[in-house]
Amino acid sequence: MEPEKDEEAPKIGVYVCRCGGNISDVVDVERVAKTIAEMEGVAISKVHTFMCSDPGQSMIVEDIKKESLNRVVVASCSPFLHELTFRNAVQRGGLNPYLYDHVNIREQGSWAHKSDPEGATAKAIRLIAAGVEKVKHAEPLERIRLSNHQRALVLGGGAAGMKAALELARRGIPAVIIDKNAELGGHIKEWGKLFPTDEDGQTLAARLRSEVEAEKDIEVIAPAKVTKISGFVGNYDVAFERLGEGGKPGEEAKLTVGAIIVATGFEPYRPAEGEFGYRKTPRVMTMPEFIAWAGSQPNGRLTLDGREVRRVGFLHCVGSRQIEGVHKPQPDGRVNTYCSRVCCSTVLNQAVQVRKRFPSVSVLDFHQDIRSYGRGHEDYYIEASNRGVAFFRYHGDEPPEVATDAEGLVRLRMKDYLTWGEEIEASMDVLVLAVGMTPSPIGDLIDMLKLATGHDRFLQEVHPKLRPVESSVNGVFLAGTAQAPMTLEEALCSAGAAAAKAAALLGSEYVEVDPFVARVDEAKCTGCERCVEECAYSGAIVMVEKETEGGGKVKKAEVNAGLCAGCGACVAVCPTRAIDLRGWSLKEFDSMVDGLVSAAERLAAK
Amino acid sequence: MSKEWEPRIVAFFCNWCTYTAADLAGVSRLKYAPNVRVIRLMCSGRVDPQFILDALARGADGVLIGGCHPGDCHYVEGNYKALRRFRMLQRMLDQMGIERERVRLEWISAAEGEKVQRVINEMTEQVRALGPLNLPGKFEEWDKEMEALAARIAKEEAKRSEAEPAAEKKEA
Repeated sequence: MEPEKDEEAPKIGVYVCRCGGNISDVVDVERVAKTIAEMEGVAISKVHTFMCSDPGQSMIVEDIKKESLNRVVVASCSPFLHELTFRNAVQRGGLNPYLYDHVNIREQGSWAHKSDPEGATAKAIRLIAAGVEKVKHAEPLERIRLSNHQRALVLGGGAAGMKAALELARRGIPAVIIDKNAELGGHIKEWGKLFPTDEDGQTLAARLRSEVEAEKDIEVIAPAKVTKISGFVGNYDVAFERLGEGGKPGEEAKLTVGAIIVATGFEPYRPAEGEFGYRKTPRVMTMPEFIAWAGSQPNGRLTLDGREVRRVGFLHCVGSRQIEGVHKPQPDGRVNTYCSRVCCSTVLNQAVQVRKRFPSVSVLDFHQDIRSYGRGHEDYYIEASNRGVAFFRYHGDEPPEVATDAEGLVRLRMKDYLTWGEEIEASMDVLVLAVGMTPSPIGDLIDMLKLATGHDRFLQEVHPKLRPVESSVNGVFLAGTAQAPMTLEEALCSAGAAAAKAAALLGSEYVEVDPFVARVDEAKCTGCERCVEECAYSGAIVMVEKETEGGGKVKKAEVNAGLCAGCGACVAVCPTRAIDLRGWSLKEFDSMVDGLVSAAERLAAK
Repeated sequence: MSKEWEPRIVAFFCNWCTYTAADLAGVSRLKYAPNVRVIRLMCSGRVDPQFILDALARGADGVLIGGCHPGDCHYVEGNYKALRRFRMLQRMLDQMGIERERVRLEWISAAEGEKVQRVINEMTEQVRALGPLNLPGKFEEWDKEMEALAARIAKEEAKRSEAEPAAEKKEA
């Protein structure tokens, strides 16, 4: 495990970017390049207007060949933008791409110190000096190749899960769906006619289900529950339990997959007892309860408790857009500040259906805002208005008060801001609470996979714009409402994206991961196991018994490159400096500190 | 050291939160003192007390560590590890007579560009008020003292071996 020693004397090429003035208007780049040229090991030090442009990159490629450079440093923007660009350029020049260091003198230089050109220039010199010192100790690294099990596990067989599995299978990648319910389809089969196409949810679920059943590359394991997940990208070992009658545990089994798509969906918000009258009277019901009940009633007249229903009210934002101090917190102490996105269009859709199916029933709509933002959703608002639905608007910090009157009807009081704050009071036979979405209770899964969640408790992606369906765990993708409230269109779109990302990963017989993992110098390792205790990823470091020359046995730490996340926590606790991180080694940090603090001072003294 | 003294502060910022926040501060054109020079690392849990001591020993006047907020670590719990080590280090600094204000740990999320600005400016002013740490200079003094001590011991040893040559021969 000893690093390959690079005995060659460093010949470093340093390139300072003007960024078309973004850097050079503040930082004296010419002076920076000249100063750095004085450093030991620096063969050339140049300035260019746009290093990331083709001519800029070609300059690196040519210099490596002509000047036989063996290390490169570029000082430009943040490494998040162009580190990879220049690694690739270095590789095109014939060098190992990891013999490169990227120095940020724009975001953390010129842009932050615009009024202090002298300070910005001095800082740039020191940051580049640190990069130069670091790159002297850089080692050639190879991306790690791991074997790949070319099939995916889809957790959850709702609309998103089925869609993801279908997309994978159609690309020739086998998928296994595990769902806790015997029948796939999730929530959509409970929803009746769906906006914006008026298709029936049950029919849609059945269609997806028959497509899944017809697909030879999809295996459905349901009802079942995942009990343990271990392993890493390309190699996840999954233990599960088939569930018997009434959810009783049954037979246990295992499977291995290369990627996992989490499509565990949502649960409708469950109002607390007494929240807007819920559970105090059967005349207050949640949206799913209303859809199930109304859906089972014949068209024409609507009755509840033997009494004709003349008026139905819909209350928006129940369990969503809550305000701290106004709404009662959830069991975990937080309020749901997010918008659930689907409730507005659902209310409008249901309001229209009530008016169509039960023309004698009048409909009231109580909202903060109406967010009918999707294609075709606004049509429901227009139709609801045309069909005589009466709209009332309350302020979020003044939620309506709900009580039961002497006749047993529901009475709602609020300030209506469509009439400039007039107090209104309405009685109705049924009040429907348009409940939002909350994450499914998947705490055990979150622990097993070490997934990140947002403040709203939904699963979190790596980057909302640039990597929207990837979790922070390599090889684990997010599909549908496990990630956030979404409409069905959005959930299926995200499922397709997750499947595409998983398919790209599973298309090859091996997976490649960054080489920044821990390594152990066996000669120095005393087998104290502190690194194992410190590591958050079970199995990433293990103790292995080795024979000594004398025939005795000693324990040594060994790193599993697939499981190591490269955080470096183990390095910080090793008493003998036996464990280190490739690409971010102790020596590299040490030399960076030297570059920042002393090397530049030595240069200044020259 | 002809120029006016400026605090030299080395920072260790984690890749996922604080380094990204520092980029955001730049993109938002928030101005702050150029005295803090950042080393990017993957996780604040990587920060070994020795990194900090090395930086001070090499001439830094202060060290700033930035990580994700508790509960938000990209590596699950690296920031808690950083906190634990930081507490231990503070005791060590006390023993060495180094002011606690010279080493600071801050949780700064990727969205908190303004906090980067505030913390860097505050810390620069704090360290400026404390003045240079000059550990390398102190090391030189200590080295001189040690050399003087070693020379004295050597002299005494030499004297003693002259006085007791017989005893040494016996042992041999």
